[in-house]
Amino acid sequence: MIKKEIIQRNPLLNLGYNDEYILPTGGFGAVLAYAGVGKTALLVQMALHAMMNEQPVLHVSLNDAVSKVDVWYRELFHDMAAKYDSVESNELWEKILIYRFIMTFRVEGFSVPKLEERLTDLMQQNIFKPHTVIIDGLKFDESGRGLLLQLQELAKKYSMRIWFTVHTHRHEPPKENGLPLSFLHVADLFDVLVQLAAKGPEVYIKALKGQSPDAKQDALLLDPATMLIKQQT
Amino acid sequence: MKFDDQKIRNIGISAHIDSGKTTLSERILFYTKRIHAIHDVKGKDGVGATMDSMDLEKERGITIASAATYCEWKGYEINIIDTPGHVDFTIEVERSLRVLDSAILVLCSVGGVQSQSITVDQQMKRYKVPCIAFINKCDRSGANPFRVIAQLRTKLGHNAVAMQIPIGLETELQGVVDLVTMKAMYFDGDSGEDVRIEAIPQSLLEEANAKREELIDAASIFSDELTEAILEEKEITPELLYAAVRKGTLKREITPVYMGSAYKNKAVQPLLDGVTYLLPKPSEVENIALDMNNNEEPVILNSDPEKPIIALAFKLEDGQYGQLTYIRVYQGTVEKGSTIVNVRNGKKVKVGRVVRMHADQMEDVEALCSGYIGALFGIECSSGDTFVSPGINMTMTSMFVPKPVISLAIVPKDNKSQMAMSKALNRFSKEDPTFKTHVDPETNETIIEGMGELHLDIYVERMKREYNAEVTTGNPRVAYRETITQRADFNYTHRKQTGGSGQFGRIAGYIEPISDAEFVFENKIFGGSIPTQYIAACEKGFKQSMAKGPKLEFPITGVKVLINDGASHAVDSSDMAFQAAARGAFREAYLRAKPVVHEPIMKVVVESPVEFQGPVMGLLNQRRGMIIGSQDEGVMCVIESQVPLAEMFGFSTILRSATQGKAQFTMEFAMYRQVPQSIAEKIALEAAQNKKTAA
Repeated sequence: MIKKEIIQRNPLLNLGYNDEYILPTGGFGAVLAYAGVGKTALLVQMALHAMMNEQPVLHVSLNDAVSKVDVWYRELFHDMAAKYDSVESNELWEKILIYRFIMTFRVEGFSVPKLEERLTDLMQQNIFKPHTVIIDGLKFDESGRGLLLQLQELAKKYSMRIWFTVHTHRHEPPKENGLPLSFLHVADLFDVLVQLAAKGPEVYIKALKGQSPDAKQDALLLDPATMLIKQQT
Repeated sequence: MKFDDQKIRNIGISAHIDSGKTTLSERILFYTKRIHAIHDVKGKDGVGATMDSMDLEKERGITIASAATYCEWKGYEINIIDTPGHVDFTIEVERSLRVLDSAILVLCSVGGVQSQSITVDQQMKRYKVPCIAFINKCDRSGANPFRVIAQLRTKLGHNAVAMQIPIGLETELQGVVDLVTMKAMYFDGDSGEDVRIEAIPQSLLEEANAKREELIDAASIFSDELTEAILEEKEITPELLYAAVRKGTLKREITPVYMGSAYKNKAVQPLLDGVTYLLPKPSEVENIALDMNNNEEPVILNSDPEKPIIALAFKLEDGQYGQLTYIRVYQGTVEKGSTIVNVRNGKKVKVGRVVRMHADQMEDVEALCSGYIGALFGIECSSGDTFVSPGINMTMTSMFVPKPVISLAIVPKDNKSQMAMSKALNRFSKEDPTFKTHVDPETNETIIEGMGELHLDIYVERMKREYNAEVTTGNPRVAYRETITQRADFNYTHRKQTGGSGQFGRIAGYIEPISDAEFVFENKIFGGSIPTQYIAACEKGFKQSMAKGPKLEFPITGVKVLINDGASHAVDSSDMAFQAAARGAFREAYLRAKPVVHEPIMKVVVESPVEFQGPVMGLLNQRRGMIIGSQDEGVMCVIESQVPLAEMFGFSTILRSATQGKAQFTMEFAMYRQVPQSIAEKIALEAAQNKKTAA
């Protein structure tokens, strides 16, 4: 019951994306925003929706420890399920947890061959096969296009979709398409781009790429108190 | 007895298993002249370290029970509690942190911040204990104290700053450079007792200057005088620098880091200096008691020896002269011959002998004043009790005691052992709140319960050694629980007419699952269908039913009972009748409420070289483990998982053989979770067989 309701609420479709998973197999998506606006919160909510649909999510963090990433999931899930019965929501949490795997690397220690080695360890032993991968903390101005091309190959090889967080800087004014200069050299590799933009007290979720042309802009917001996605009223 | 609070330090020594805490304590005792010879933890002389006073601790090379001691260093009195490193004994760590004012966090220069260091650090945070770090084992191959400092920052979030740099590392370790005085320190003599101070070697001067800059920079945030001295390019005196670092340390906003090798007798004395310079005196620490007369309103205590007594009993030991009660005095003075009151039961007791402890030896004193840690003789109490002056009704905040998750049946070999065993069990359960014992009414076996395999193992060994109680043990049993998953109604009538006055009681209502309590009883009867005087009997009957599930006989938790109707009889109704009716009603509803079995799930953290990451994950997976994640740490990786306790027996041997002995793990209770259907069926079968055997 609770699961059904939460799944039905998957709000990103409101941005004008048609596919249920938003990204095609082997595709790339990114959430762009300044530091502290809610990139991780948004991706974790997308991950939670995938987990509730029994689609395994691999969360790769290059910044935070496993325990901290776990807290993101725990908090957001419990906020999402706050209005439901606690016994039922705890049960659901236990059920969906098996669809999540957290991997953390130090930024300097992260490489695609290393990630593939870890993935093979998991897949060969039938421990975990991700449907969606989240990579949080990759530095796009430093990581060359080469790394992304390798990741794209990996995504195709293992039939995964990869979401990235992209940290944009306040001192760097966006180009006409809304993208920061430091991201332009890789933007063509992405199927979907979503931006979080703070306007006053509100944080708007805007589709920059991949949405249908008639999609409504400013349809979605991040609630600044809970970081949960909500619809514009 | 001196009453100079200024010069008292109550410290704990906490760390990961095998980081060398006990060796460090031994060196501290030696340099403060409390002992005259050093005995190592697993030393060839077979004596064992002084702080590991139990034979078993000496043999296994691990600390089991905290030992309290005090020593003097340059006019300061330092009370030290040596705490166990193994997570099964975590209650000892928690208890000591509760009574201490500050701590030394010992880290291995090779292993760095390990899983247990994280647990200990969380405990320190919970009790707001300021600490300094000591990076030990700098003589080991692969030692890298600056990597450990970086880990302190990234993994534990400490603002760690080096107070020293090493002179040489690994086998070349010669001493340390003190970044405050900018002098090199060497440790001569057979046991490093002669500190030789010299100029910094030329080769290290540049590094020392750079690290001192970092130290000054970090400390300047806490002192305007220091910032001023920096801006005006005045000389930065050691006093100025220590004062700034001390301020930050007390606020837990800076962690000063010392380094050396306790085993090789290098740089323990500067650490002691650090304890006296940087850690708080008792009156600088805020301690809170709860006022029982004022709705448990928190009251900040005043560390004044003249005020009424407030002291906490944090550890009990049964010594050769009777029960020894370790206490920490927070306020007032506990004097020989004075009267104190145990807040828990209101009993007045007269203080007999008052002693200061030095591992298993003691020293008689006249009084213990606020800020001191010592022990009392002949006081009957439990661990965690608060003692106060007559007329005061305050209690120290209660300590969190986790519930046991594993049990073991023990059978004495003969009558003599039977007597000795009950004596031992009585003592152990009084000393350790996480150790429980009871007799199974069906099998008549004595069951001991605790926090892990090792925890129970140690107690069985102690029974043999200290009490000559020869016992055989059964297989460890996991503490399963039952709970319900859906609401079920009941409407049950208990009626008995067998001559004489009969029994009658009817109860109606429902049971439903709840997640945040073990048992809730709600009375929604209006109009007196069950007279008020029988409501308590109804509750008692339901509570009795919770002790054992009707089918699998595990304790039941997470049930709310609501009664909303019933009936009584003017003559035949009684407390007994309504208790029986409640039991019947529970039985009636329970099976319809879809009961399930829950099992204890442990948080298992494995640290392994990366090349074994795959096999380790495989091992955890085979044990029904759910891997939460893996953390890459360069050559090592940390795998965090949740594994049912039932699958963890013998895991250490399997892990060792799968990783050539290079991986280690820690395990602690995380939660209860429903067992999968196939396992539940197996458990049901086993329970049925046990029942048959018992019959």
